[in-house]
Amino acid sequence: MAHPQLDRKRKAVTRDVPESSDVESEAEFGDGLLEGILSQSEDSEDDSGEDEESDEEDEKDFDELEALDSDEIPSEDDESDAEKQNGGVNKINGSRTVEESTDKEQQPLDDEDKPNYTVVTDANGGERYVYDEINPVYDSDDSDAPVTTNTIGNIPLSFYDSYPHIGYDINGKRIMRPAKGEALDALLDSIDIPKGWTGLTDPSTGKPLNLSQDELEILRRIQTNEMPEEGYDPYPAMVEYFSGIEEIMPLSAAPEPKRRFLPSKHEAKRIMKLVRAIREGRILPYRPPEEREEEEEETHYDIWQDEQPRADHVMNIPAPKIAPPGYDLSYNPPPEYLPTKAEKQAWESTDPEDREKEYLPAAYGSLRKVPGYDKFINERFERSLDLYLAPRVRKNRLNIDPASLLPKLPRPEELKPFPTVCSTLFRGHEGRVRSLAIDPSGVWLASGGDDGTVRVWELLTGRQIWSAKIGDEEAVNAVRWRPGRDTVILSAVAGEDVYLLVPPIVDPQTDAASRELLDKGFGHATNATQALTANGARKEPVAKWTRPGSRLEDEGVLIKITLRTTVKVISWHRRGDFFSTVSPTAQKSAVAIHTLSKHLTQIPFRRLPGIPQTVQFHPSRPLFFVATQRTIRSYDLQKQELVKIIQPGARWISSFDIHPGGDNLIVGSYDRRLLWHDLDLSTRPYKTMRFHSKAIRAVKYHKGGFPLFADASDDGSLQIFHGKVVSDMMENATIVPVKVLKGHKVKSALGVMDIDWHPREPWCVSAGADGTCRLWM
Amino acid sequence: MADSDELSTRQGQVQVYFTTNSIDIELPEGKRQLLVPTDVRRYGLSQILNSESMLDTPAPIPFDFLINGTFLRTTLDEYLTANGLSSETTLNLQYVRSLIPPLYEASFEHDDWVSCVDVLSGSSTAGSWDVQGITAGNERILSGSYDGLLRVWNKSGQAITTSVSSSAGGHTSSIKSAKFISTSQIASSGLDRTIRIWKYTESEDGFTADLKPTMELYGHKGSIDSIDVHGPSNRILSASTDGSIGLWTTQKSSAPAAPAELLTSGPTAKRRKLTTSTSTPQRGPLSLMSSHTAPATAAIFNPLDSTVAYSASQDHTVRTFDLATSSLVDKRTASHPLLSLTALPGISTQLLAAGTSARHITLLDPRISAASTQVMTLRGHTNKIVSLSPDPESNYGLISGSHDGTCRVWDLRSSRQGTKDEGGGLVGEAVYVVERESQKADSRRLVGGEGIKVFGVVWDKDVGIVSAGEDKMVQINRGRGVTRAEGA
Repeated sequence: MAHPQLDRKRKAVTRDVPESSDVESEAEFGDGLLEGILSQSEDSEDDSGEDEESDEEDEKDFDELEALDSDEIPSEDDESDAEKQNGGVNKINGSRTVEESTDKEQQPLDDEDKPNYTVVTDANGGERYVYDEINPVYDSDDSDAPVTTNTIGNIPLSFYDSYPHIGYDINGKRIMRPAKGEALDALLDSIDIPKGWTGLTDPSTGKPLNLSQDELEILRRIQTNEMPEEGYDPYPAMVEYFSGIEEIMPLSAAPEPKRRFLPSKHEAKRIMKLVRAIREGRILPYRPPEEREEEEEETHYDIWQDEQPRADHVMNIPAPKIAPPGYDLSYNPPPEYLPTKAEKQAWESTDPEDREKEYLPAAYGSLRKVPGYDKFINERFERSLDLYLAPRVRKNRLNIDPASLLPKLPRPEELKPFPTVCSTLFRGHEGRVRSLAIDPSGVWLASGGDDGTVRVWELLTGRQIWSAKIGDEEAVNAVRWRPGRDTVILSAVAGEDVYLLVPPIVDPQTDAASRELLDKGFGHATNATQALTANGARKEPVAKWTRPGSRLEDEGVLIKITLRTTVKVISWHRRGDFFSTVSPTAQKSAVAIHTLSKHLTQIPFRRLPGIPQTVQFHPSRPLFFVATQRTIRSYDLQKQELVKIIQPGARWISSFDIHPGGDNLIVGSYDRRLLWHDLDLSTRPYKTMRFHSKAIRAVKYHKGGFPLFADASDDGSLQIFHGKVVSDMMENATIVPVKVLKGHKVKSALGVMDIDWHPREPWCVSAGADGTCRLWM
Repeated sequence: MADSDELSTRQGQVQVYFTTNSIDIELPEGKRQLLVPTDVRRYGLSQILNSESMLDTPAPIPFDFLINGTFLRTTLDEYLTANGLSSETTLNLQYVRSLIPPLYEASFEHDDWVSCVDVLSGSSTAGSWDVQGITAGNERILSGSYDGLLRVWNKSGQAITTSVSSSAGGHTSSIKSAKFISTSQIASSGLDRTIRIWKYTESEDGFTADLKPTMELYGHKGSIDSIDVHGPSNRILSASTDGSIGLWTTQKSSAPAAPAELLTSGPTAKRRKLTTSTSTPQRGPLSLMSSHTAPATAAIFNPLDSTVAYSASQDHTVRTFDLATSSLVDKRTASHPLLSLTALPGISTQLLAAGTSARHITLLDPRISAASTQVMTLRGHTNKIVSLSPDPESNYGLISGSHDGTCRVWDLRSSRQGTKDEGGGLVGEAVYVVERESQKADSRRLVGGEGIKVFGVVWDKDVGIVSAGEDKMVQINRGRGVTRAEGA
C-alpha cells in the first residue's frame, strides 16, 4: 500500500516543478525587458549555488559589456536592483518548497478524511447511510484469499537466502519466495501472446504454428470472399481511350487521310514519260527473265549415317561395303604385292599427306616377326612435344621482305642529271685549298688556299688564268664572287683582311663598271666616320676600308677592309651591295655586315649567344641567318628582331645553306651529320643523314634550278643528293642520295674543304686539302 | 689442198651477198653472191674480194665488212652463233674501205698548252679555196697556244714562224682558236676577247716565214673560244663565252669601227697598251648575234652555204643563223651543254655533230623540216668532248678530241640500238682510239684527263689526224697505206 502512495507523491513532485517554472517564465516573458536573460540563468538555479554565483558574475560581465556598449555609468541603483531580484528568486524558491510540503500532507487527507458514504433520509425519515459503490481499483484487494502467514518465527529472513522458499505456512507448506520485479517481468513476457499466435501446432514440425500479418490478411480476405491477392481491383475504372473528347494536341499515328492527297505533277510527268515510252516501244513492259545459271549448291547427305541392319528389300539400298583387306595388307603378302625399290623410294620421298597408301606392304616370315607400331615412340614424342610447346592455333611467322620496308625512293638513275665523274683537275695551289667559288656567269672558278693566293681558273679546261698573293703568312680562308652579272668582283679573306678584287679577266667595260662600284663608297666612308665623331662616341671604327697598296692594286686588288680578328667566312646578299663576314674569335664584333656602296661596316649584334660559325642572307626575304655552334638564328633585318631559332641538334655546325626557294635549309656539322630543315615545319630537322665517316665541312644547294645539293667531308668524299622541294605544303621534300664522289686525298685528317655548284649546270666543284680543286660533271 | 678443202667443207660454208655504196669498187652483178667458208675473218673476206676473180684491183684494198650495221670483227661462224643464225641464211655483207688504225707519226713540242690546230694542205678547206693549190709536202700546220703565240709548222716538225708577243701586237692572253683563211692569211682568237688577222708570208725555201698582225677585231665581251672562217667571202664567225656569235670581215675597208667602250680598258690593260708600239688597225663586228643564254662554244659556217651559220652553246642549243640578215632561224635543243660542233657535209642530208659535256657526241639534223632532232649518239669518251672534225675521205667518218686525253674515230655506219640506260636511239661506238703519245708509257688512268687533255683536233687528208693538247704537244697520227678512192 505504501508503494503506490510514494509513487504518487513522487509523480506529483515531478509533475509540479516544471509546471510552476513554466508559469513563472511565461509571466516573466510577459514582463519583458531584461528578464529573458535572467530566465535563462534561472533554469539552472536549482542545480547549485556555485552556478548561481557564476551566473551572477556572468551577469555582471554582461552588464559591464552593456555598459561599455551604452556608455552608461553603472549606478548603485542598478546594483541594488540586481540584488533585489536575486533575493526575489530565492523567495520564490522558498515558497515553492512550502507548497510541496503542503501538497504532501493534503493527499492522505483527501483519501482518509473524506467519508465514503452519504447520509440520506430514508422513507422513514431516518438517517440512512448510503455507501459509495466500491470502485475496485487496480491495487484494491478484492480477494478473500487466506492470508498466508509465515510461521518461521522471529528469525532473520536472511537465513532462507539460499533457499527458494522463505518459510512455511500454517499448513507446513513452503512459502515460496515472492517473485522479484525482474522475474515478474520475465513471466509476464512469457505469458504475452506472441504475434500471429494461433494456438495450433504445425503438424510437420510440431511447433506452434504462427502466422505472419500478411498470411492473416490473406486468410481474412478469403473469409470475406475477396480475392486473396492484395491490390487486385476487380473493377478498375474505365480508361476512355477512344472517347469523343477532342484533345488539343492529338498525337496520332493515323495515316494522312486520302482526302488531303494532292497528286504530284512531277510524278504525273514522269508517268506520262514512261507511258509515252512504252507506247513508242522504247520501254518494253516485259522483259523475259534472264537465263540465270542455276547455282545450286550441291549438298551431300550421308544417307547411311545411322544405318540399321535391315532385311533385304527392294527399297532398301544398303551402304556399300568397305573393301576387305587385300593381299598387300597381309603380313606376308605375295611377292608381287611387295613394292619395288623404286616404288619404295617414291613412297618415301613423297610427303606423308600426298601418299596414296598410308603403308608400305612388307613381308614377314611369320606373324610373330611383325613389329609393333613402329612409329609409336615417335608419335608419342611428337604428341608430347605438341602439348608442351605448340599452340593449338597455327601461327604464321611474319614473312616480310626487308627491301619492302625501305622507303620508296626513286632510283638514282632516274634522277639524272647529277655530277658523276671528275672531269677537270685544278692543280696549282701549294697546300690546302680552303675555299672556292664559281662566278655568276659560270665561266671562271676562283679559289683561295693556304699559300695565301687567290687564283682564277678557266672552269672547263682547268687553266689558271690569274693569281694574286694577298696573304703573306695567312691562308685565304674564303673567296666569294659578288652576285650579279653586271660586275665581276671577287671578295677574298686573308687573316683579318677582307679584299675586294677585280681580276683582269673581263672586258674593259665590265672592268670599269666594277672598279667604279668599288671606288664609289670612299666618300661615304669618311662621312660616316665624321658623323661618328660628331656624336661624341669616341669609337674606333670596326673596320678600315683602305687601298691595299700599289703592288696589289696593280694585280687587281682594289680594296682592303681590315677587321680586328681573323675572318673565316664571307657571305653576300643577293643584291650585291651587302656582304657579311664572320670572325669567330672576335667577341662582340664576330659578325659584321659591310655595305659596299658606302664602305661602311656595321656590327649588328651587341651580344651573341655563342660563337658564330657562319652566316647567310635569305635568298628572297630580308632575313639574316646566323649559325652558332649549336643553333641557327634567323633575324628580320627590317624589324630588327629575332624570328626563329633553328635547332639542328648538331654539336658543332660547320656550315649551312638555304634552299633557293627559301623554305628549306641544310646544315652540315662537324659531328658528321647532314640535316635537312623545313623552316615551315619545325625548328627540328626534318631529316638527318649520317653517311660520312668524318666531319662535314661544307654543304651547298644548287642554285640554278636543279634539285640537287651536296656536302663535302673530311673523309675526302663529296655526296650528291637529290632534294626535291614541292610547292605543295602537304608534301615533304624527297631526299635521295645519288652519288658519292671520291677522289680527293685526305691530308692530315682534312679532306674536302669547300664545294660550290655551277650556276646553271649540274656541275659542282670541290676544294681539297690535297691542293687540288676538282670539277665534277 | 684437198685436205684444206675437206676441212672447209667440214667447217661449213655460208652464202654471202656483197654490196657496197661506192660505185668505183662495185662488183659485177653475177659475182656478188658467193659461198664462203665460215671460219674466215675480215682479212680473209678482204682477200677474197681483192682476188683476181672478184675485183681484180691492181693493189689490194683493205676492206671492212658491215653486217646489219656492225663491223665484222670475228669469224663468220662466230657471228652466226652469236646472233643465232643458221649457216643456211644468206648474209648481206656491205664492204667499205677499211679505216686503217691511225698510227703515231710525230709530235711537235710547245712551251705551253696547245689549244688549237689547223692544217693548210691541198685538200684542207683553206687550201681548197686557194686557186694555185698546195703541192704535196708543203703542208703547213698552225697551232695556237695558251702562251698567246701562234706557231706554223711544216710537216717535218720545224716551227717555221712564231707570232709576235703581246707587246708587238700579238694576243695579250691565251689563244683559244686559230684558222687559216687562205695561204697567206690567218685568223686567231683567244681569252683577250679579240680576233686577230695575221698576214702570213713564206720565204722561197719554205723554211722561214713571217707572221704580221694586220687587224684586231673587237666586239666580244668574253673569251672567244671558237672561230670559223670562210675564205672566199672573207668572213669570220666567232663564238664567245658572253653568249654572242660574231660575224666579222677580214677586209679592213669594209669592217666597221671597233666599239670604243671595249677599247678603253682598265689601268692594267692601259699600262700594257702603252708599251705596245704597234698601230694595228682595230675594227668591230659586222654583226653580233646575242641569242644564246649561256657561253657559246662553237660557231661554224655551213660548208655548203656560207650564208648559214650554226652555233653551239652551253645552253644546250644549236642555233641556225641566217648571216645575210643576221637573224636566228632555228633552234635545236639537246639534253646537255654543247662544247663543240662540226658539220658532216656528205651523205644524203647534212648532219651536225656536237660534242657535249656529258661525254658523248650528238648527231643532229639541222633542217627545220626534220622531226627528230637527235639522230644518233656516239658514246665512248670519258670526258668533255671539245673538238670535232669530219673525216676528209669518208662521209661517214668523224674524229673527236676530248678532255679524257684521247681522240676517237667514229664510223656512223656502225651503230646499234641504245640501251634504256643510254636513252635509246641509235648509238655508235668508236672504231679507233688515238691516245696521247706523251702518256703512252704511263699506263695509269689519269683523273679528269689531267695533263693530257686534247683541246683541238683536225683530220686532214694529206697530213692525217692532228691533235693538240694539254701535254704541250701537237700530235700527228696517220693511217698508213690507205688507198684513196681517187687513186684506185
